[in-house]
Amino acid sequence: MKKLIALLLAVVMVFGLVACGEKTPETTAPNETQGTTPPETTAPQAEATYTWKDSVVTLATNWNPHTYQTTDDSYPADFLRVGLYGFYFNDELHPKDGVDPYGGYVIIPEMAAALPVDVTEQVKAEHPEYGIPESATEGFAYVIDLNPNAVWEDGTPINADTYVESMKRLLDVRFLNYRASDYFAGNFCVAGAEAYYNSGKTVYVDDATVDFSALTLGEDGVYCTADGYPVYVAVSAPIAYFDGANSLADYVGAYGEEYFSMTHWEALAAAANEEGYAPLTEETKAYLTDVITGNPNWNEDESYLPNYVTYYKEFPVVEYDGTVGLYKTGDYQITLVLGKSLAGFNLLYNLSGNWIVNIDLYDACLTEEQGVWSSTYNTSVETTLSYGPYKMVSYQTDKAMRFERNENWYGYTDGQHKYIDPTDGETYDMYMTTAIDTQVVGEAATRKMMFLKGELMSYGLQADDFATYRQSEYCYATPSETIFFLILNGHMESIKNREASADFDQTTTDLEVMTLKSFHQAMGLTYDKDLFAATISPARSGGFGIIGTNYIYDPETGAKYRDTDQAKQVLCDFYAVDVSAFASLDDAVASITGYDPEQAKIFYQQAFDEAIAAGFITDNDGDGISDQTVKIEYCISSDSDFMTKTVDYLNEKATEVTAGTPFEGKILFTKSAPYGNEWSNKIKAGLADTVLGGWSGSALDPFGLTDLYTNPSYQYDAAWYDATQVMLTINVPVNGVDTDVTMNLKQWSDALNGATVEVDGVEYNYGSGAADVETRLDILAACEGKILESYNYLPMLQDGGMSLLSQQVFYVIDEYNPIMGRGGITYAKYNYTDAEWAAYVAEQGGELQY
Amino acid sequence: MFKYTLQRILYMCMVLLIITAMCFVLVRMLPPAELPPGDPHTEVVEARREALGYNKPYMVQFGIFLQNVFTKFDWGISDKLYFGRDVAQIFFEKLPVSIIVNLYSILFSIPIGIGLGIFAALKKNTWVDYLLSTATMIVISVPSFVYAFIIQYIFSYKLGWLPFLMKAGTDYFTWDMFVSMLPAVMSLSFGTIAGFTRTTRAELTEVLTSEFMLLARTKGLTKAQATIRHAMRNCFVVVVPAIFGSFIGVLGGSLIIERIFAIPGVGGLTINAINGRDYPIFMLTTCFYTAIGLVASLVVDISYGFIDPRIRMGSKK
Repeated sequence: MKKLIALLLAVVMVFGLVACGEKTPETTAPNETQGTTPPETTAPQAEATYTWKDSVVTLATNWNPHTYQTTDDSYPADFLRVGLYGFYFNDELHPKDGVDPYGGYVIIPEMAAALPVDVTEQVKAEHPEYGIPESATEGFAYVIDLNPNAVWEDGTPINADTYVESMKRLLDVRFLNYRASDYFAGNFCVAGAEAYYNSGKTVYVDDATVDFSALTLGEDGVYCTADGYPVYVAVSAPIAYFDGANSLADYVGAYGEEYFSMTHWEALAAAANEEGYAPLTEETKAYLTDVITGNPNWNEDESYLPNYVTYYKEFPVVEYDGTVGLYKTGDYQITLVLGKSLAGFNLLYNLSGNWIVNIDLYDACLTEEQGVWSSTYNTSVETTLSYGPYKMVSYQTDKAMRFERNENWYGYTDGQHKYIDPTDGETYDMYMTTAIDTQVVGEAATRKMMFLKGELMSYGLQADDFATYRQSEYCYATPSETIFFLILNGHMESIKNREASADFDQTTTDLEVMTLKSFHQAMGLTYDKDLFAATISPARSGGFGIIGTNYIYDPETGAKYRDTDQAKQVLCDFYAVDVSAFASLDDAVASITGYDPEQAKIFYQQAFDEAIAAGFITDNDGDGISDQTVKIEYCISSDSDFMTKTVDYLNEKATEVTAGTPFEGKILFTKSAPYGNEWSNKIKAGLADTVLGGWSGSALDPFGLTDLYTNPSYQYDAAWYDATQVMLTINVPVNGVDTDVTMNLKQWSDALNGATVEVDGVEYNYGSGAADVETRLDILAACEGKILESYNYLPMLQDGGMSLLSQQVFYVIDEYNPIMGRGGITYAKYNYTDAEWAAYVAEQGGELQY
Repeated sequence: MFKYTLQRILYMCMVLLIITAMCFVLVRMLPPAELPPGDPHTEVVEARREALGYNKPYMVQFGIFLQNVFTKFDWGISDKLYFGRDVAQIFFEKLPVSIIVNLYSILFSIPIGIGLGIFAALKKNTWVDYLLSTATMIVISVPSFVYAFIIQYIFSYKLGWLPFLMKAGTDYFTWDMFVSMLPAVMSLSFGTIAGFTRTTRAELTEVLTSEFMLLARTKGLTKAQATIRHAMRNCFVVVVPAIFGSFIGVLGGSLIIERIFAIPGVGGLTINAINGRDYPIFMLTTCFYTAIGLVASLVVDISYGFIDPRIRMGSKK
């Protein structure tokens, strides 16, 4: 026995020694690629394979164009589907012409055969049923010729019937398709789509549009809208005003007398039907008004009433034909009629997606049970038919999927899908990738190791990686839309209530100082934004305005708002940069750090004086230092290292900058309890004091962002910042004459976003198409400046990410374009075939250096 | 014994029904997953919830649920995570891989764990025993995902002997698939080996010092004969139920290990179903695991009676 054990131990030891003696790639393999440039671009080798090896955390489970819900689910769409129109880099701008490579893009017909032809006048005359306004002459109806070469992967033709039948199914009232509203709820609104989608239904419409001044009292005592729809108070039904998740009853239940008048609440609740709606009568209107306006803590008046009511709309039963503005006008031609006018870039952009499905397969995948329809279309290889550049060849739920070239795709042979490479001026076919292997890799650590072994094409850097890789030539920074700002509590009533609680010691702690503008200003100058980003989130950069760097104001040219003189000037004005001291406006903007400790100290002193005068704090010992510590609760949804680092940084820099001021050592950021999804409500109600929050909107519409800062439905600071009370004068053209126009901030925002605003009997509308773009930029910049001046939002971070790209591939363009990215799979070019790559990785000892 | 078993099964059904009812009501009390303010899809989501009956009284919904399960074994259609697909089909599609990975782990772990336990017991109070006991405590204290990362780093990244992830496909019994499962199997095995080592060592040590063992030796049996014929049998009164428990536990999968090695098993289904408010999946997994837990405890209890005839279940003095 002893011998046996000794033998076993000897074997284990020998094995251990062999393992220890194994030379790892890290120690022995020379790194031949480091610091070198990839080989010269060459045309793809015939018969060679180029596999794009991708990873995702969550694999798509449903990529049905009618029902998918998440971005994870939309992943396969780029490979399997093509829009009517597509975006490509503009080949006419390349180095051979002495122009920066790919400075713009072009839109070319894909599943369409030509650009849409406007037939508004003709359709208006021939088809009055689509309701094109009498005054409209263009932008409402288009004839689109379809690409006759487009087929499904099995060769079945795609024609006008496919488009019409697909739309019919998408909008079918029985199927309740998630994506149906994409075709009527936004700017891209197909005529009659909503009516057909709601055919025969009665619904409570909650869009906060009920005009109380236009209500009429019905015979039954219930108020009706101008269109005759009865109005209801949403008592215990969720409303959009509370993010669509909570109802008035939820809020009253949670906060009760603290925020609401409870005098008539029971009576209002009793009037609600089983669905949670109470008919709006004289009585219930009075109850509702009392509930929301009777307690000053809720801080609302009667103008907020529309947020709490819905109207009950009945949709008549209608047929698709003659209702929905999408019909066949030829075997390969459709006519599209819109409910709202749309033209140019915006039309083509909306048509860069597609709704078509393979009708036979789609119908076969439908099931109905107890009146609820479900579909398995596009949930497996068997239920998927491609009409794009790749087809799905394997799929395993929650594991992996693989795509290979769809040889039946017209794009490989139509001669259109070629590009001139700006690096060598030669012409290449697009879609060099022959296959896409996508697998689930849940852990970042695993992704990193796989990437370094050459098994993945890219790796998104994590916080620990920045020091090592941010200078790598394979590292790419990708900005995104969101600006993160620190919101500072200004809700005086709420703060007073908190201070009044029994466990609050007013002799040592204070919250009221936070409401002073001078304190906000001091805080704003306390933090170096770039340093803040580098410390807590290195993939991001410093944020200075409330509109990020990624927003394009002119999609036709790709011009960005942040690059305009108006946007630069507003930042210089806000950060008090003397532009005349710099060679250019660009240099002046580049000098902004948002950090000015000396000026911050002045503001801290001012805040101290104001706070003493107001009785917020005391200085009983006369040492010139506040007796109370300003305790700022940082609102967290859930605790994390990021939160800890953020709060630590805020404290550290506040301590540094307040040195020698009356608030030296008297400002303390603390973490709140984890509030989950309630964090935004806590901030809005002044129950927590600060948070790094952010908004992002469509990258192509920076103008729409003003609504987020002026509309109480969205504002974090709605309880203490009323945009209707903030006046702003801007010099804008009125009837062709430059005029100083004064309106409140909310009115400017509304006018900028297409609403007609009446001031002193004059109507103003500066929406898209109603005003020239320079005027709109002037207004946007002025609004941004005014919002910044409130100091309720202190810009801190410009969102973004960084990733490494494999040495096997390269992008034909380095600069990130918000619409085109860096060309994606369409333009990805390979330095090595799969076989060469495997050999190359082995040559490097199995571990690559980046 | 029969009466006792029948009684336990009856209780088990009652407990299952109560837990099912509680879980059903609690999960449906959760508000629907929030969409951004003003999202135009809110209306569609609400309409679909209405159509699916989620706005009916909870007990009515529960009645419909039970009716469908008992009359058609219909657990519903996934409305979120696997839109449109039969949840039972998804679950039973994902279950085999969890079972196989865990089964491999158990099959490796039990003989090694018991072997080491016996060895440690026989070498009680020697350096071998101390080494094994210390190692066992360390291994038990460290969670399995730590081993997962260490194994991945050493065997997949540094040595390149094993793949990072489990191979895609359903060819579960091929050599390639087996090799791709090894990192996960190894990660799961450490803890189980340590558990069995500790249990076996503790039981066997106690048995070896019993008086009947002395009697056996005085009757002329060798140490090996006495250990195998008498000590092991007694020691297994505790070890065998633990083996049963482990085998039943293989059905549960492992959330973290499955995530690290991209095993498309059932480990993360329940959590994902709660986060995604996918009620049918949540109910199926909850009922399944509750039933498994109850059956496991029943089997373990009954197994005592078979292993050790001195134990009589349900008998009255």
